[in-house]
Amino acid sequence: MKVIECKDLTKAYIGKNALNQLSFSIEENKITGLVGRNGAGKTTLLKIIGGFLKETSGTIQVFSERPFNSLNVSAHSIFVDDKMSFPPALQLYELLEAAGSFYPNWDMDLAERLFDYFSFDRKAYHQRLSKGKTSTFNMIVGLAARCPLTIFDEPTTGMDAVVRKDFYRALLKDYLAFPRTIILSSHHLDEIEDLLEDILLINDGKKHLHMPMEELKEWAIGIKGATATVLEWSDKKELIYKNQIGADTLYAVVKNDFDEPSLMKASLAGLKITSVSASDLCVYLTSESKGGIDNVFSDR
Amino acid sequence: MQIAEWIETEIMKGHFESDQKVYSQYQLAEMYTINPATAAKGLNLLADEGILFKKRGLGMFVSVNAKEMIINKRKNQTLKRLVQEVVLEAARLQMSEDELIEMIKAVQNEEGEQ
Repeated sequence: MKVIECKDLTKAYIGKNALNQLSFSIEENKITGLVGRNGAGKTTLLKIIGGFLKETSGTIQVFSERPFNSLNVSAHSIFVDDKMSFPPALQLYELLEAAGSFYPNWDMDLAERLFDYFSFDRKAYHQRLSKGKTSTFNMIVGLAARCPLTIFDEPTTGMDAVVRKDFYRALLKDYLAFPRTIILSSHHLDEIEDLLEDILLINDGKKHLHMPMEELKEWAIGIKGATATVLEWSDKKELIYKNQIGADTLYAVVKNDFDEPSLMKASLAGLKITSVSASDLCVYLTSESKGGIDNVFSDR
Repeated sequence: MQIAEWIETEIMKGHFESDQKVYSQYQLAEMYTINPATAAKGLNLLADEGILFKKRGLGMFVSVNAKEMIINKRKNQTLKRLVQEVVLEAARLQMSEDELIEMIKAVQNEEGEQ
């Protein structure tokens, strides 16, 4: 079953399309990673899915309904980011109790255990929490709500490395026990890639790719060696990235449509064949062709 | 596939015997903090190679010849590739065949003493 389906989804802000004819669908009970550069349209997309923003054109269906102004979508989804607003008059523990009355699947026991594990003070106020603590509290609400559609937009902002690791594990354990559709946006693909079943990469408001994580890991390969040899081997292949190192060494990333024997031949020709991490690949796929940061500093 | 390799190693060590049930995709997901779909892919890879077999509704089990299959696979693929790299590097360093074989023997002796 498809939980989210959108077709030609476009969101126009003044002078710019944040989303540009985006079409994709997300199956029930999968964890999907949403990645893209700053300003690619990730948050806009997630907010439209959650019903917080209205699309400009195209169609979007969440649980077979248009999410904007839909009670059904609000009741079955939660949108977690570092700007979630809570009533300022309530203390943290009261916020958990209030959340419990909102969300039908709320697990108060899980909420309390996480609350104590991360040493929150029941009487503290949300507004006074540090950045990392705010994200941690919001994540607890997001997990304990157990919504059939759970959206985490950059959930780890400000969290230290230990808390991030705990969060990833908590998310996975609760997902295993209570499978649900989860979308996770992050700039740290290397940290979340193991959790993901699918990945959706967007660039300039458009879909760049949407595929199982396992496929992405084998989608491209790196070839390194003498410049002429690398060029010969990467000829007629889809070039994704190349980097000249020193005088006569070239590193090229190309789409992996080599078969096993030709890879063997390549390494016999003195080339070093490496796998390309999903995180590096996404960077290469979405970097603008301005020659990289070095160009800013050259010719001054 | 790291999961597949890990299960192979467990079988080699004798932690799983023939006809014994291996971990489910959900157990593996929990153990390694990975998506269960990824764990399932690792299991299916081994099933495709005949190292594991499926019993419908019961899970994955270790095949009778699993150990030999793993040994053969590692010899013909992993070890062969490693040797290829060694031979190539030796050629780049202009080492003679005898020199290379001497070196391998020396390492073997060191390992033997440990």
